[in-house]
Amino acid sequence: MIGKAERTWLTLVALTLAGALLAETGHAGWPLSLVVAGLIAVKGRLVIDRYMAITPAHPRIRRILHGFVTLVPLMVIFSHGWGDVLRRLTTLG
Amino acid sequence: MNDPAGATLPAPTLHAQPVPGNKGIWVGIFCVLVEFLLLFCVYFIAKAHHPAAFERGPDQLATVAGVTITLLLLTSGYCMVKAVAAIRRDARRTTFFWVLAALLLGLGYPIVKFFEIRWNVAHGIDGTAGIFYTVYYYLTLNHLVHVSWGLLGLIWVATRTALGVYSSRDHSGLEAAAMYWHGTDVLWLIIFPFFYVLR
Repeated sequence: MIGKAERTWLTLVALTLAGALLAETGHAGWPLSLVVAGLIAVKGRLVIDRYMAITPAHPRIRRILHGFVTLVPLMVIFSHGWGDVLRRLTTLG
Repeated sequence: MNDPAGATLPAPTLHAQPVPGNKGIWVGIFCVLVEFLLLFCVYFIAKAHHPAAFERGPDQLATVAGVTITLLLLTSGYCMVKAVAAIRRDARRTTFFWVLAALLLGLGYPIVKFFEIRWNVAHGIDGTAGIFYTVYYYLTLNHLVHVSWGLLGLIWVATRTALGVYSSRDHSGLEAAAMYWHGTDVLWLIIFPFFYVLR
């Protein structure tokens, strides 16, 4: 029987294969960065919410985990769009 | 009415929400998240300073290795979900089967990594091949170390499951190992696109 865990696993596998297709065909640019950011956010939330079943857990645990998989995709977008700013901020001298 | 003896207990104010596994494992998981957040900053800073190297880098890596590791970890994580569900029903033999399956799939990770690194080195991709590959080895080998802790944890809980230690009433150790294992999964789901997909 296909239950919630099986559906989650199938979705994660499908998203991974989509990522693999992108790896072979993708070119640098906004579309790729946005899709990668989206994949990280969606897959991260699926593992946290469905595999770890974090929903009924202590809110601090939930917030930190959700915050982590929200922050990293934002970093992907920031580094693509504002790479120059990041380079300036991290240049010594 | 007064309660001079203090016999009446105050109303419970503790958080009713449970902590999956145990508190100790969450301290460990959050430490690992902070560590990798710093490593991700290293990745983004290196990428900002060497955009061309990070655009070309993924083309030289074996995507199939990254995809295989991802599928192994996701499937191993699924087995741990089933193991926790099984112990909640007191199905101990089923629990052992799922933990063992999770462990065997998880052991595929270092094996694939070994062959991937061997392939890399044969193609001239070592830690000195360029900034992209330095960061790639730095992050992926660091992740491998954390997966190794997770695998040791799975061996521990598989043994304890076989000994019949866990039950539907007390399985916090099993759940803690599952939480850590899923945590390494979340990190790999970020690392994989960083080195094999993103340009």
